[in-house]
Amino acid sequence: MVQNLPAEFYQDFLSASAKARKPSPIRGLYPLELRPGMISLLAGKPNAATFPLTSVQIKARSPTDPQKEFTTDITGAALAEGLQYGPTAGLPSMIEWIYGLQEREHGRKKGEGWRVSVGAGSQDVLHKAIFALVNPGDAVLVESPVYAGILPTFESLNCEFVAVPTDSQGINAASLRSTLEAWSASKAKPKILYTVPYGGNPTGMTASKERRQEVLALAREHNFLILEDDPYYYLYFGSAPRPPSYFSLELEQPEVGRVIRFDSLSKILSSGIRIGFMCGPDALMTVVDMHTAVANLQTSSLTQAIAHALLESWGYDNFKAHTLAVSEFYKGKRDVFERFMKQYLDGLAEWDTPEAGMFFWFKLLLNAPGSESAEEQDSESLIRTKALEKGVLALPGTVFLPNGEKTAYVRAAFSLLDEADVEEAIKRLREAVLEARGA
Amino acid sequence: MPNDMDIPPSTSALAQSLNAVKLSDSPLESRVLPREFYDLFLSESSKRRIEDPIRALLPLEDRPGLISLLAGKPNVDTFPITSMQFNLRDPVSSAESTIVLTEGELAKGLQYSSSAGIPDLLDWLVGLQEYNHGRKRGEGWGLCFGTGSSDLIYKAVNALLDPGDVALIEAPIYAGVFPVFHGTGCEMIEVRTDEHGTDAQGLREMLENWPAGKPKPKVLYTVPYGCNPTGMTSTLERRLQVLELAREHNFLILEGNAPRPPSYFTLEQDQPEVGRVVRFDSLSKVLSSGMRIGFISAPQCIIDAVILHTMTSNLQPPTLTQVIALRLLREWGYDGLRAHVERVAQFYHAKRDVFEGLMRKHLDGLAEWATPEAGMFFWFKLNLGDAAQGDSEAVIRTKALEKGVLALPGTVFHPGGRKTAYVRASFSLLPEDQVEEALRRLREVILEARKEAGVTE
Repeated sequence: MVQNLPAEFYQDFLSASAKARKPSPIRGLYPLELRPGMISLLAGKPNAATFPLTSVQIKARSPTDPQKEFTTDITGAALAEGLQYGPTAGLPSMIEWIYGLQEREHGRKKGEGWRVSVGAGSQDVLHKAIFALVNPGDAVLVESPVYAGILPTFESLNCEFVAVPTDSQGINAASLRSTLEAWSASKAKPKILYTVPYGGNPTGMTASKERRQEVLALAREHNFLILEDDPYYYLYFGSAPRPPSYFSLELEQPEVGRVIRFDSLSKILSSGIRIGFMCGPDALMTVVDMHTAVANLQTSSLTQAIAHALLESWGYDNFKAHTLAVSEFYKGKRDVFERFMKQYLDGLAEWDTPEAGMFFWFKLLLNAPGSESAEEQDSESLIRTKALEKGVLALPGTVFLPNGEKTAYVRAAFSLLDEADVEEAIKRLREAVLEARGA
Repeated sequence: MPNDMDIPPSTSALAQSLNAVKLSDSPLESRVLPREFYDLFLSESSKRRIEDPIRALLPLEDRPGLISLLAGKPNVDTFPITSMQFNLRDPVSSAESTIVLTEGELAKGLQYSSSAGIPDLLDWLVGLQEYNHGRKRGEGWGLCFGTGSSDLIYKAVNALLDPGDVALIEAPIYAGVFPVFHGTGCEMIEVRTDEHGTDAQGLREMLENWPAGKPKPKVLYTVPYGCNPTGMTSTLERRLQVLELAREHNFLILEGNAPRPPSYFTLEQDQPEVGRVVRFDSLSKVLSSGMRIGFISAPQCIIDAVILHTMTSNLQPPTLTQVIALRLLREWGYDGLRAHVERVAQFYHAKRDVFEGLMRKHLDGLAEWATPEAGMFFWFKLNLGDAAQGDSEAVIRTKALEKGVLALPGTVFHPGGRKTAYVRASFSLLPEDQVEEALRRLREVILEARKEAGVTE
């Protein structure tokens, strides 16, 4: 029997703006329409007879048989649902599919104190979750380096970043422990930890099971919630057995309900369709849904209908097969990229091999051998000048450091380029580094 | 939500009405307000927003010969959808045709794209603004796409209002905007409306008697055509008065979805200063509400603020939706869209007539209303007898609910939630037999309430 944290527990975590939210005056009444025998004159829903799209058809590859194709027609009730306003948290059929997935992947069952909300990309719901939990000026724990795309959200709340170092095993739990144990009693402890545990962006590192368990224990000891942002969960290609998610591991804890999980279809189905989902305790999900009801009403019904139609036609086994094929694809690209890195950057850069995701995170060795400097080197000027001049563009690592520190690291994506371009890009980088060292 | 359902008059009629109101002969470009003008209007939260450092570097990818390792874009080879097509009904003939997305369209639709919207669609929509409102590029305004106009109203309001700022809001108006304004910490002040639309005279008096030391209002939110819930439209005279007040008292006009010219967006072209209008458009009521298609036309720096907010909050509107929408809209062209909008208007007029006929049958003497010329709502006042003191809320939320009919008490359409005997009912969906049953139930509800109030029939 799962021991869930009670609803009252979250009152200390909800931000002031979360507590001030009121239900949408109209959307809040939608549930009343479902009462048997009710005739509703309530909603300003347009009449579907005026919508000019009369059917949608998609074809998709079979994940197991390259010769086969799945053809899915979205018509009738499914299309009507896709073209009309729908529930704020997502289309019921999509939500049901997600519950099924989360049980298969993480052993979490419906009706155990958590629920699902669909987002217009996981960024959408992640952004709202942060606003639901963080007050202006709050301290927040973020692994470092951290996904640069989440920094503006925290910055807009004027957060104080408490950076938690990471290494080849992922988040450095021992360092997190020291930081929390040394925390000044006069200052409020951080309420949330933000982490990307699989194929961390930008590091590409995957947190081991042991590290995750330590972090979960710390979450309980020091009372913080874990925002598990997992867009590369299905892009794991390591040889070791995959570590369970935080969402799954928290079932081992005496109390369950500290993990808020974010999934995305962007890296496996389509980034342009903008579908992600959030799973978390009821109290928090309600706040996020209220935010959605006010801000953008709902994730697009049509994109949900298309995504669901495809996923439903495949079934879970085919979905799994597809994600394995995607992982294999990125593993192949990683191998090609790493081969050229070894060939051209040996002695000029250092890195750990990523086992998930789509990034290499490597440190440029900008000092010529023999002229070591104690000062942290800086990749930024090299990237923005020499590398750019030579015709290669990578990301200076400084954009991933929450406090904007200097770093010699660089992030490169291996997802897109073909072999010839990879070789050329790395050659150009080599030249840029050699020049910098020579200078 | 504000609707988009009647046909604009022909271009020559538009030109005529504009000539009648021309206030300035100097070229438009010289009257466009400069970027600095908006420094006082943009909110602190908007000014503090930082750009996503990755998206900020993307433009560098365009350099010729450059190989980019920059963006964490997934490889489209891994996306399983191989083709997409849809059937589209012709707006005039109703004949169905099959539209197949090209390989290029599909590949584009499945991948990440710009936070502002895809350039081809933005181009098409800029053309639509010229077609509908006579506004062209190069007049200081820009346009961006959003997931419904709600998304854009939320972002624009947050771009403009800080805690303590004042917003004028016409009422009664779409209840969905109140939480948006409330969330900024601004003060909402109600501007009355009547059967001719915005009470411009009342607004003038309010502004001229503004308490000393109180911040003047920054914005006015108005839906000048077929306003939800009243269905009323502001006369040309009232609109011109409001524009004059906007200039005299220096506030911006946030215009919801009024495609019938002359919109504020059209009218401001002839003002001594151009650039006070922020216009929200939606295709929810004519193409699909579930697709989430909206766009905003506003001074460029407000557009920039909205795009920056999108970058942070949801990255971008779905590329796939935009690709489908663009294909559909190009198939029809501007004339085809207009023809469709006309047919939709006719459809709702017919439903309105059915509903009104049954209102006369069941609610004669029990309710009062003005016939809406646009939109999908009836806004009617219940005659409950003196004891109810002009308040529909209790009756609607309890008795009506018990009797199995669901409508909206008018109080939710006022920012302060004040008492009113009005009710909003939608006539968009129900077939005739259900309308009859709903109104029959409502009749019983009103009769019971009157009986309890001691009204003798």
